[in-house]
Amino acid sequence: MSRSPSPWVSRLVPRSLAVVALALSSAAPLAAQYTDPLTVALGRLDPTNRFAIEVIMDSARAAGLPDAPLRSRVLQGVQLKADARRIVDAVRKKFVLLRTAREVLGPVSNDELDAGSVVLEAGARPNQLQSFRNRQKGREALEAFTVWADLLYRGVPGEEASSAISKLWQDGADDATFHSLWNNVQADISQGLNPGAALQNRIREAPARAAPPKPTPPAGQQENQRSS
Amino acid sequence: MTDSERHPYIELIAREARRPVVVDPAARARVMAAVRAEPLPGRRSWLWRRVVAPRSFTLSPITGALLAASLVGIGVISNALVNRDGQTSAGQAPPVAQRLPVSDTVVKFVFLAPQASKVSLVGDFNDWDSAKSPMVRIANSGLWTVTLPLTAGRHVYAYDVDGDWYADPNAPVAGDDGFGHTNSVRVVTKGSTL
Repeated sequence: MSRSPSPWVSRLVPRSLAVVALALSSAAPLAAQYTDPLTVALGRLDPTNRFAIEVIMDSARAAGLPDAPLRSRVLQGVQLKADARRIVDAVRKKFVLLRTAREVLGPVSNDELDAGSVVLEAGARPNQLQSFRNRQKGREALEAFTVWADLLYRGVPGEEASSAISKLWQDGADDATFHSLWNNVQADISQGLNPGAALQNRIREAPARAAPPKPTPPAGQQENQRSS
Repeated sequence: MTDSERHPYIELIAREARRPVVVDPAARARVMAAVRAEPLPGRRSWLWRRVVAPRSFTLSPITGALLAASLVGIGVISNALVNRDGQTSAGQAPPVAQRLPVSDTVVKFVFLAPQASKVSLVGDFNDWDSAKSPMVRIANSGLWTVTLPLTAGRHVYAYDVDGDWYADPNAPVAGDDGFGHTNSVRVVTKGSTL
C-alpha cells in the first residue's frame, strides 16, 4: 500500500518549484545577455569622440554603406590603445573611401566594396576602378582588388598595376589567376626584382582567356577593346 | 390579581412605552439627506476587493513542475526576443551569436616566430581581440598555428607577437590601418581547404 505524502510536503514541493522557476526565468535573460564589443569599445572613448564615431557610422548606414569596416577600425584602434582622435580620423577616412568606392563601383557586395576602398587607399584613382563596374552577373572582383592593392603597396607603379589588373579582369581571369599572379610577383620582389618589372614579367605569363560576354559595356570601353 | 394591579408604576411605564414616538419631520429629512449624500459602494472597489482578497489554493507536484517549466520557457523566449530586437547605442549589428553565420570553411593560419613566447591571431573575425584566438607553438619549431572556422569573404588580420602586431608575410597586404600597422588579407572561398 502506497503512502501518500504528508500535507506539508504536498504544499512545499510545488511552492519550491514555483520559487525556483521564478528565479530561473528572471536569471535566464541576465545569463544570456550579450554586450556588443563595439559598445564596450566606444565606452572607452570620451563622449566627444564617441559621438563623432557614432555620427560617421550613422552616416554610413544612411548612405547604404557597410558598417563592418568602420566597426573593425574602431575595435582595432581600441585594442591597440590608439588615441581617440586617431581612431575617429581612421574611421572617417574609411568612410570616405567606402563612399567613393560605392560611387564608382555601384551596387557590389560589402566585401568587394571594402576591397575596392583599399585599392583607392593604396593610391588608385577612382576612374581606374570604372572598368570593374560592368561585369557578368555573379562575378566578383574581390581577389582582383586584393591583388591590385597589394601590388600598389609593394611599390608597383599605379598605372602599370591598374592596366595589368584591368586587362586580366577584362580577359575573364578567375580568382586563381589573380592569386597566382600575386604569388609570382611577390616571390620575384622578395628575390630583389624591381616591383614594376616583376609585374611586367609575370603578367605575360598569365593564361590568356577568351573574353567573357559582357552585359552592356559602355561605348568607350567597346572602342578600347577593339583597339587593344 | 395581576402584577400591574399590584404595581401601578409598571402600568404607567407600559402606557408610556405604548405611546407612539413623534419624530420631528425636519430631523427625518436631515437624516435621509445625509444618507443619500453617502456615495454608493463602487463596482471597481468591489472588484478590487475580490482581486486582492487572499485565497488559498493547492497544487499537485506535477502541476507545480509544469508551472515551473512554463515560467522558465517564458523567460527563455522573452530573452530571445529581447536579444533579437536589441540594438547597441551606435545602432550596431546584433550580438555575435547572431552576427556569426555558419562558417563556410576552416582556415589554418601559420606564423614563424621562433623567439616569441606568446602569439595570437587578431582580425576582423574576432574583433581584433588577441585573447580570442591564441596560437599554439608546433613542437621543435618556431612555427605557431591556429585553425579557425571562417565565412567566405575577405578577412583582414594580423599576428600579435608578445604584444606587437605583425602582418603575414605570406599574404596580400591590406594596407595601413590608420594606426601605424599593416594588416594582411585572406580571401576565403566556400569550401576552401586548410
